[in-house]
Amino acid sequence: MRSADTPFVRSAARTDLDLHLRVNGRSHRIRAEARETLLDVLRERLGLFGTKKGCDHGQCGACTVLVDGRRVLSCLTLAAQAEHGAVTTVEGMVEHPVGRLVQAAFVAEDGLQCGYCTPGQIVSATACILEGAATSDEAIREAMSGNLCRCGAYPNIVAAVRSAAAVVERR
Amino acid sequence: MPRYARPSTPDEAIALLAEGGWTILAGGTDFYPAQGARPIRDDILDIGAIEALRGIREDKGDIVIGAATSWTEIVRARLPMAFDALKAAAREVGSVQIQNTGTIAGNLCNASPAADGVPALLVLDAEVELASTRGIRRLPLRDFVLGNRRTARAADELVTAIRVPTASAAGRSSFFKLGARRYLVISIAMAAVRVETDLQGRIARCAIAVGACSAVARRLERLEADLVGRPADAAALGVIGERHFDGLAPIDDVRASAVYRMEAAREIVGRALADAFGTTAGQGVAA
Repeated sequence: MRSADTPFVRSAARTDLDLHLRVNGRSHRIRAEARETLLDVLRERLGLFGTKKGCDHGQCGACTVLVDGRRVLSCLTLAAQAEHGAVTTVEGMVEHPVGRLVQAAFVAEDGLQCGYCTPGQIVSATACILEGAATSDEAIREAMSGNLCRCGAYPNIVAAVRSAAAVVERR
Repeated sequence: MPRYARPSTPDEAIALLAEGGWTILAGGTDFYPAQGARPIRDDILDIGAIEALRGIREDKGDIVIGAATSWTEIVRARLPMAFDALKAAAREVGSVQIQNTGTIAGNLCNASPAADGVPALLVLDAEVELASTRGIRRLPLRDFVLGNRRTARAADELVTAIRVPTASAAGRSSFFKLGARRYLVISIAMAAVRVETDLQGRIARCAIAVGACSAVARRLERLEADLVGRPADAAALGVIGERHFDGLAPIDDVRASAVYRMEAAREIVGRALADAFGTTAGQGVAA
């Protein structure tokens, strides 16, 4: 990334970037190309394979991560865009106050079949609850509509989000 | 190898654009899919760190939406009822994940015939503000989007804001999007309407736009004119006839046939009007 004294001329724009990424509370310094997506960097460079590559163009939600608490699609985010932000992946959910409740609820409610979409579902559900969007089953379905489940585990996913939201509410 | 720059002010961005060759990246939700199967080769000018391009403010009565304002920010903003259509459209852009990063100007610059934001902004008479080292200019939205994936933006220009004039921030508005499902779909047809009524409950001004049924979303001026002066109630919907949709030119594609799109457009324009009138005829789900 540029430093404050770099003039904005074309020659100064970089193709290789020294990126400082904060992922699940840990700092990483990596050298990456400008074109690398956050998803590829998480998986291929940081070895965080929990975040899944489903469609790779923003239609399935399997790659959902949190950046500064907002859920985003890591396949549509360049790693460089996430610099200066705090990234939380499904691996970080175990230490996330809401995320770990959501994980437990997915287990208790059997909110999965093959499990491929589950990391994205769990991260997305965590954000959905924190956004205050888990107010009814209908609201949950709308707020979770960016996460597809080809197995069709939707009823149990909605149940898991509902029960995790109820636990959060009680605390 | 693509280059990457992330300026923090609009001036830095337009200085870079003046050099030529950059592809502007805002939220990135359309940028990456547009690359297709090939690796990214464009030089990327990331405007995501320019705080001055975010947020909604008032300027001399106009409502000014920063170019890089996300759909989520629009959903959450306190805005007059005339913006209800825009908020409804914002809620149906992709998914929450897309809404968190996708930006209003990105939706316009991408210039998809099915851009969710365009009909609602057309009924608000929105203007697009463009900046370059040559100066600043404003264009009505209808003169900005020129065709499928074509806009009036010159290569060295940056869209800095979307501006809604005071006079058009009045009345009630409504939006209907028809898709194969409600979310994460490309629209088959969309309708946005904005209606201002007088003290007798008659339609004083009205704006109607249909999207995804022509290369660029269009206002239905003849229908607007035919509705003015009528009581804003279900009976007014009887005026709607085939002639009002002459300007549309829907296509046949994988999502729907042209005939179906035309029928859908008529139906959702009626529902959106009924909703804006506040009559119960607008209830029901289009998708």
